[in-house]
Amino acid sequence: MPAIADRADIYLERFNDALARSADEPTWLLERRKRAMERFLQLGVPSLKHEEYKYTDLSGLADGQLLFATRPAGAEAALPSYAAGSASDRATAAGPQVLGRVPQGARVQSLAGALRAEPDLVQRHLAAIADYEDHALCAVNTAFFADAVVIQAERGAVLEEPIQLVFGDGPRDSLPRVLIVAGRNSSVQVVETYAGSGAYWRNAVTEIYAEENARVDHYRAQVESLDAYHTGRLQASQQRDSFVSSFSISFGAAVARNDIGTRLNGSGCECSLDGLYAVRGDQLVDHHTSIDHAMPHCNSHQLYKGVLDDRAKGVFNGKIFVRTDAQKTDAVQSNKNLLLSDQSEVNTKPQLEIDANDVRCTHGATIGQLDSEAAFYLQSRGIGADRARNLLTYAFAADALERIRVAWLKEHFESLLLDRFASQEP
Amino acid sequence: MLQIRNLHVSIDGQKILRGIDLDVQPGTVHAVMGPNGSGKSTLASVLAGRDGYEIEEGSVTYNGQDLLDMDPEIRAREGVFLAFQYPVEVPGVTTMYFMREAVNAVRKHRGEEELSAGEFLKLARQKIGPLGMDADMLKRAINEGFSGGEKKRSEIFQMAMLEPKLAVLDETDSGLDIDALKIVADGVNSLRSADRSFVVITHYQRLLNYIVPDYVHVLSDGKIELSGDKTLALELESRGYGWINDDVVPQAVAGV
Repeated sequence: MPAIADRADIYLERFNDALARSADEPTWLLERRKRAMERFLQLGVPSLKHEEYKYTDLSGLADGQLLFATRPAGAEAALPSYAAGSASDRATAAGPQVLGRVPQGARVQSLAGALRAEPDLVQRHLAAIADYEDHALCAVNTAFFADAVVIQAERGAVLEEPIQLVFGDGPRDSLPRVLIVAGRNSSVQVVETYAGSGAYWRNAVTEIYAEENARVDHYRAQVESLDAYHTGRLQASQQRDSFVSSFSISFGAAVARNDIGTRLNGSGCECSLDGLYAVRGDQLVDHHTSIDHAMPHCNSHQLYKGVLDDRAKGVFNGKIFVRTDAQKTDAVQSNKNLLLSDQSEVNTKPQLEIDANDVRCTHGATIGQLDSEAAFYLQSRGIGADRARNLLTYAFAADALERIRVAWLKEHFESLLLDRFASQEP
Repeated sequence: MLQIRNLHVSIDGQKILRGIDLDVQPGTVHAVMGPNGSGKSTLASVLAGRDGYEIEEGSVTYNGQDLLDMDPEIRAREGVFLAFQYPVEVPGVTTMYFMREAVNAVRKHRGEEELSAGEFLKLARQKIGPLGMDADMLKRAINEGFSGGEKKRSEIFQMAMLEPKLAVLDETDSGLDIDALKIVADGVNSLRSADRSFVVITHYQRLLNYIVPDYVHVLSDGKIELSGDKTLALELESRGYGWINDDVVPQAVAGV
């Protein structure tokens, strides 16, 4: 508290500006923003003393300078090749960050557009799924986001092509806010990419509402500048028989913290929360996941893999709640880490709270070096020792990418891994 | 081609090989048999250069060079091949990628042109067909999800691609049904030539009905106790390994 009170001037000052800018927003949204600001001022930017942030130092964010700093004009992030090609579409697409064509059966709107077209839907879900009462970073986003992308999949619409959102160096890209509402029996895929240049703080929040029997596949590709802070929150609310998958790719940023969660509100739901982080130098990457099994007969899977080199640090905390009513829950969690150097480290912690008695919950975490038997196998065929290590590192990481269903996304990161770990020439 | 002299090897201070002597001439097939724990697999591992073995005494000379002084990849490039008893699964690397890289590493070492993707694929298809495997296998991760028989056939496929001068087969027959055994044996037989030698390590005589050896050696307690021709294998089949340490020298061996 005292820490933030001393240093929160810029947040307060900016909040008044933001409110002025948001003057024509509906009252309910302004109320939510004000409440979020209030909570943020009480909570403050989490310090290392906070149990949930004990390995992740966010003190650089306390004064807000990185969030509100004006980005140098003309700076253009090095976007991944799949995103760069359609940069010219950015001006004409529905929102500032939407790339490519919006598939039939989907609607992608800005906040203003969605508030006009679907005021009730926006009111029901926006800032209603991702909690900001006890989540300071989400509170900052909720208080300050300038625009939102509202994605709707119509009832029964099966969208073959993913909807692609790219957050770069634009003035509104620091606080990405996305709401995805998948109608009954619909299927939608969303790829969010974050890339920037220089030092900044990007604080993203995505909310997903999956209606009955809907399917949402969400991908977040984080390739931020190595001087950046990236904090991201993905929170889903799943209704009966729905399926939500999340894949978190975390390669960039000096410090990255992702909170990824879903609540299974109906029976027959399934979710899979997966990820791959590959970090080096002094990078830190932290994933906190939370799966809330509220109802019976739901399955959840989690596979997070990490490759850490130099002095890089990894954090994984996987919470699984199985409520009293959630009988026949089947929850599997796995976190596997490969340490390539003596100084890299990982703190991994499963956290299961089980109140039902007829459930299956398994979890496992590994932190290890390369399999020497596999390395010998490759060497015994004539492949050099270093090359064998690199190939195995690539293989370990690329294996996680198998869970990505969007071919071009998977291929992009496979080739990135190949370049990093298995390129022929040094 | 290969001379093993008085080779003593231990693992974690425990003696496994206690003075092995073996000469392998070009174009010959040597079977090494013996009961479990006799040191057969240790011998194979030491030849291929696996870590964790202490060479206490003795030497291994391969084509005039000190084999034990070479890194495993150099041995492979020089033409030594080990078919693993337990081939390793490597998720995430396809057999195609792996083998192309391996073949080109060997070719480069020999001063030959590297194969293009197309040339490699053509060669791979040629080699894989006779082994009763589908070329789709090449697109799968190395040994991942393979049955025991598929893994052993994949070893033979790799051997065929790398065209070694000295192939060491470590219990390649273990766990194979008779059909798979025949396929593996055919694969080996088709590679037999005047300048290529084989050391076939096996626990069972059965394999030697299909890969007929020039010499049979019986390993027991870290030493070659007996050497003979292929009839020794039959003798072992009917009498078991029990008599080997007895002082009785069977007739079959006396003439060797």
